[in-house]
Amino acid sequence: MEEAKETIPTELDTLKAQCEEYLNGWKRAKADLANSKAEEGKRLAEFAKFVGESMMKDLITVLDSFALASAAIPDENDAKKGLLIIQAQLEDALKKHGLEKITTTIGDAFDPTRHEAMALVDGNGKSPETVAQEIEKGYSLNGKVIKPARVMVTK
Amino acid sequence: MAKIIGIDLGTTNSAVAIMEASAPRVLENAEGNRTTPSIVAVSKTGERLAGLLAKRQSITNPHNTIFSVKRLIGRKFTDPEVQNDKQWLPYEIQAAKTGGIEVRIGDTWHTPEEISAMILAKLKADAEAKLGEPVTEAVITVPAYFDDSQRQATKNAGEIAGLTVSRIINEPTAAALAYGMNKKKNEKIVVYDLGGGTFDVSVLEVGDDTVEVKATGGDTHLGGDDFDKRIIENLVAEYKKTDGIDISKDPLALQRLKEAAERAKHELSTAQETEINLPYITSDASGPRHFVLKFSRAKLESLVADFITKSVELTLKTVKDAGFEIKDINEVVMVGGQTRMPAVVEAVKKAFGKDPHQGINPDEVVSIGAAVQAGILQGDVKDILLLDVTPLSLGLETLGGISTRIIEKNTTVPTAKTQVFSTAADNQTSVEIHVLQGEREMATDNKTLARFVLDGIPPAPRGTPQVEVTFDIDANGIVSVSAKDKQSGKSQSVKIEASTNLSKEEIERLKADAVAHAEEDKKKKEFVDTKNQAEHAIYNAEKALKEHGEKVPAEIKGAITEKIEVLKTANNGVDITAIKTALDALSAEIQKIGQQYGQATPPQSGEQKPEEPKEPETPAQ
Repeated sequence: MEEAKETIPTELDTLKAQCEEYLNGWKRAKADLANSKAEEGKRLAEFAKFVGESMMKDLITVLDSFALASAAIPDENDAKKGLLIIQAQLEDALKKHGLEKITTTIGDAFDPTRHEAMALVDGNGKSPETVAQEIEKGYSLNGKVIKPARVMVTK
Repeated sequence: MAKIIGIDLGTTNSAVAIMEASAPRVLENAEGNRTTPSIVAVSKTGERLAGLLAKRQSITNPHNTIFSVKRLIGRKFTDPEVQNDKQWLPYEIQAAKTGGIEVRIGDTWHTPEEISAMILAKLKADAEAKLGEPVTEAVITVPAYFDDSQRQATKNAGEIAGLTVSRIINEPTAAALAYGMNKKKNEKIVVYDLGGGTFDVSVLEVGDDTVEVKATGGDTHLGGDDFDKRIIENLVAEYKKTDGIDISKDPLALQRLKEAAERAKHELSTAQETEINLPYITSDASGPRHFVLKFSRAKLESLVADFITKSVELTLKTVKDAGFEIKDINEVVMVGGQTRMPAVVEAVKKAFGKDPHQGINPDEVVSIGAAVQAGILQGDVKDILLLDVTPLSLGLETLGGISTRIIEKNTTVPTAKTQVFSTAADNQTSVEIHVLQGEREMATDNKTLARFVLDGIPPAPRGTPQVEVTFDIDANGIVSVSAKDKQSGKSQSVKIEASTNLSKEEIERLKADAVAHAEEDKKKKEFVDTKNQAEHAIYNAEKALKEHGEKVPAEIKGAITEKIEVLKTANNGVDITAIKTALDALSAEIQKIGQQYGQATPPQSGEQKPEEPKEPETPAQ
């Protein structure tokens, strides 16, 4: 009898503690769910914005090839005009989905957030660390640079 | 409480992950990428750059762009490895007074710790931006072969970057942690880590709450970059052979080729063949020249076969060094991007006679493991509340003996799911609920857990009554199934206590069975589905004739009756093609009734989803 009396409060305490622990666990689980739902929403929005990134990157190589093709045809004939129209068509279509060309001008200061240096060239008097030539256009998708412009940089 | 972040500080790339709601998550950096190049640079204007931006300007600034600093950290200048690396590193290094190493950036000399700290500072800042709160503590991973000095130096780098390094853990241990292998007592694990520039093998043994590194091996100069180099060399040689042009001296052409080679390598992890197209790769006297070459997986594998063989030999040697036999190894874990290549997986599988683990992104698995360790330190990963999953799907039998799954396998319990079913015949007043467990398509192939009958459904045309069936699994794995007729409110239920009393072997066998019979089951199910559709179409056609019969011209009526008979005969047989043909014919014919009267809604044809007995009508959840 004595022993039983002794154990009752302890048992109650244990149960109380356990109860508290379980309730906290439950609250935590509910909070986690609410938080991760909110987080998931944000992530989905982010995801939707960049879901096309890898496809865009693949299509950018096609745009690059178009640029090379039109540069390779020196005379302005109808065939070249047609090619340029197709290029513009593709660019327009991609623009609708958030792809923007990065404008690079010769003489711009080299900026690694927008440019990728391909080689160093003699500046012939131009200020160093500036863009001497743009080799491939850069692009951004919804504000994120997904391909920097490939440039030659002055020494 | 601020989160402790897990950092995989790699030779070529680094990654950061955290524990969030008991699950690890890799954090994206400021540029939106999940890995960050382990590169730092100081531009001529004195601006410090880290990660991708440092990489982009490396050509303009090769002497002040520092990469692979992990190869130097915590080492002595006189170490043979350092002397070897000194030959090819484009930046300048010298012996420090302490005997360590100093790296030159601009006019100042820095310790490798300081350089590593610049990378860590970038990782820290990006993680803070992503999390929206300060980060002060981190778990950082290092190769298993790092000695005390290298570990201490890595820790110092963390402190310089403003991080309290709560733990330095081994990369292979982190990978094993990511797969939850720390709970597997007395297991021997091989971690095969083929990254961009290095190849590490580790043999681990999991004891009571400890993971012990038994042996390490590998090659500090073997990785995916070597694979890429081989591919490029081969493409250059092929092009020379086919088109007679050497593009190896043209840096721009080489750059395009390098990217195309990398893309091709990635593609060939899933495809058997790819085409490398590089229009206007160069030009000569005859005008522009293009690069077009087919590249197959077989070709790729033959090009790098010696690398793979070497890596497997080194792996086997390391197992031997650990004092183990191949058969002692319980698990093999794949780490590093290059392990995505099927030939690598195949070679490792062959060597160990078992499938290696590769479920977690091999570029992220180490950072995820570091986050798991951070979570343990933080107390996030407590085993207070272990949620179980249901190992096999639960469902019920529907018309034609099909097993319709209600709760899919691997659903976390406790859970409940409800679906609405209906009757198969007119004026049917009872339905039998046959509760099934298993992955097979046909009810007879699955395990019966219970059967019960719900009766007292008021007489109604088939498909009209709505019987709501609810499956509930509680946290102890006890399954309750209840069925309720929505109109009469009558309900019936059953409780199954023993549903999870299957042994692990039995569950595995049942799963394997389902995979083995997948094709045959699919055919059976398709057959029953078609028969159900046919039966449904006959019912509807007859109903349509009965309701609109007098308005339908005799020749159409006759044709429909004839097509119904053909379908009935076909449906009694076993030739699925015959049933389908007859079904299509009847559907086409029955539409004429609709066309005849220009009705907006022609009588339902067999093409529509049947309201079959116990077939879901409207998902209720």
